[in-house]
Amino acid sequence: MEGLAPRPAARPAAIGDIVAMSVVVIAILVTMHVVSGFVPDYIMPSPAAVAKAGWKILTGDMLHVMATVGRLMLALLFSMVAGVLIGLIMGVSASIRPFLRALVVIDTGIPALSWILLAVFWFKDPEVRIFFILTMILLPFYALNTYDGIRALPKDLVDMIESFRPSRWQIVRYLIAPHIVPYILLTTKTVVGYATRMVIFAELVAAAVGIGSRMGLAQSSFHIDEVMAWTFLLVVLNMILQLIVSGVEKIALKWRPEASVR
Amino acid sequence: MSERPTFSNCAGVGTEPVIALDGVAKSFAGFRVIEDLSFRVRRGEIVTLLGRTGAGKTTVLNLVMGTLQPDAGSVRVAGHDPFLQFKALRGHMAVSFQTDRLLPWRTAVENAELGLLILGRPKREAREIAASWLDRVGLSGAENRYVHELSGGMRQRVSLARALAVDPELVLLDESFSQLDHITSSALRRDFCNLARQFEKTCLMVTHRIDDAIEMADRVIVLGAKARIRLEATVPSASAVGQTRDGLRRDIEIALGPEAEQESSQQERG
Repeated sequence: MEGLAPRPAARPAAIGDIVAMSVVVIAILVTMHVVSGFVPDYIMPSPAAVAKAGWKILTGDMLHVMATVGRLMLALLFSMVAGVLIGLIMGVSASIRPFLRALVVIDTGIPALSWILLAVFWFKDPEVRIFFILTMILLPFYALNTYDGIRALPKDLVDMIESFRPSRWQIVRYLIAPHIVPYILLTTKTVVGYATRMVIFAELVAAAVGIGSRMGLAQSSFHIDEVMAWTFLLVVLNMILQLIVSGVEKIALKWRPEASVR
Repeated sequence: MSERPTFSNCAGVGTEPVIALDGVAKSFAGFRVIEDLSFRVRRGEIVTLLGRTGAGKTTVLNLVMGTLQPDAGSVRVAGHDPFLQFKALRGHMAVSFQTDRLLPWRTAVENAELGLLILGRPKREAREIAASWLDRVGLSGAENRYVHELSGGMRQRVSLARALAVDPELVLLDESFSQLDHITSSALRRDFCNLARQFEKTCLMVTHRIDDAIEMADRVIVLGAKARIRLEATVPSASAVGQTRDGLRRDIEIALGPEAEQESSQQERG
């Protein structure tokens, strides 16, 4: 038997990344501390005041955090499923494709603010409003990237699988679905930060529960330390979400060789 | 592989045609690629279509596969029109391509079982059959390797295992060994031939390499421009007296034209 290509060695832990992140965080805290000595509290609170507000959030406002995360997850999951389905239909049905593509392209041109304002007019229930806003913003990303993934299918592989005379469903199952997984994961990685910002924005305008609404309340009562604490929490939340997506990516794409450029 | 059956031409060839082309013509954008092509491949026979680049070899193969429809004439595979009755030939035909065309997200054994799963075989049974074919092509121990962890020759072996695992009556080979180095290509050719003869497969092989054609086939069909048949000859056995393989080689070179002779002499010098 010919020699097996060696399995690629596991990538060493990115200690450098952790060190760099720590340096940047420390620099921000030092800057905050210095600036807070020269300006009033409502402009720049001290890191200690922000930490105190943060502790208050962690011990008393977790319901709001959970509400935001829940909304985010639900909308992200629904947009992923619906967007992938739309992308799949765009990819496999030439007759429906132009209509769906037109719809998706129009959707991408509508500003997020327009969806937020329209949702306030159209729906009474805040949950429906936020779900609607996030879905309308996120869905086109999944639909277009899935469609692009299908367009990028190598013709060689299509010919190969067709040589076994499969059903359309089998082509989707054995070829298209695994092929678009990296596209779905990349889309999720790209939109998760954007989706977090959008859910906060939507909550600020359209809900009474959630991080966005709490930030609005803190801002209107001049509790800038709370605004800062929520902001830090959101940064951490986004990092956790990115880590989760990266973890899923690592498992789902274990077949992909890691390329490195010298 | 531990055991290799002895190579012998024309073993177990029947009289019934598995492939029958009659007066086939095919054009692309007004350009005639095939003009009035007729030939037959009998059950258990290995036939090679040999020709220069652009002779229409792959188009012939695509017509037999059923991915193209002829403009005129008829193509029948096991009595069916492969284009109009595309699904009727499900499980009866498999193709080994020029490149391995493995799915990178599947391991070697998962790739080898793909055709079986498409044909609706239970997962466990498909896995066992695929593993046994990997063993036959000399890949025992590499079942759970991903595609990027296999060498080019191993990938082509997985591709062959995938084609043969569905137990097709007809195997189509489209320059399947041409991208490999001489030693790997030679070993694979020998392995494939032995397996094809052992399991009495009918094979239509497209190649531009005279060596592949003579070594593997029972019969060689040399195509000229517009896929016109320039030569059709039975390959003599290696030990034949009278018409020898060297004689056939010269005939093929003449049928292919001066460039083929030049190419052949370059190979000999090499």
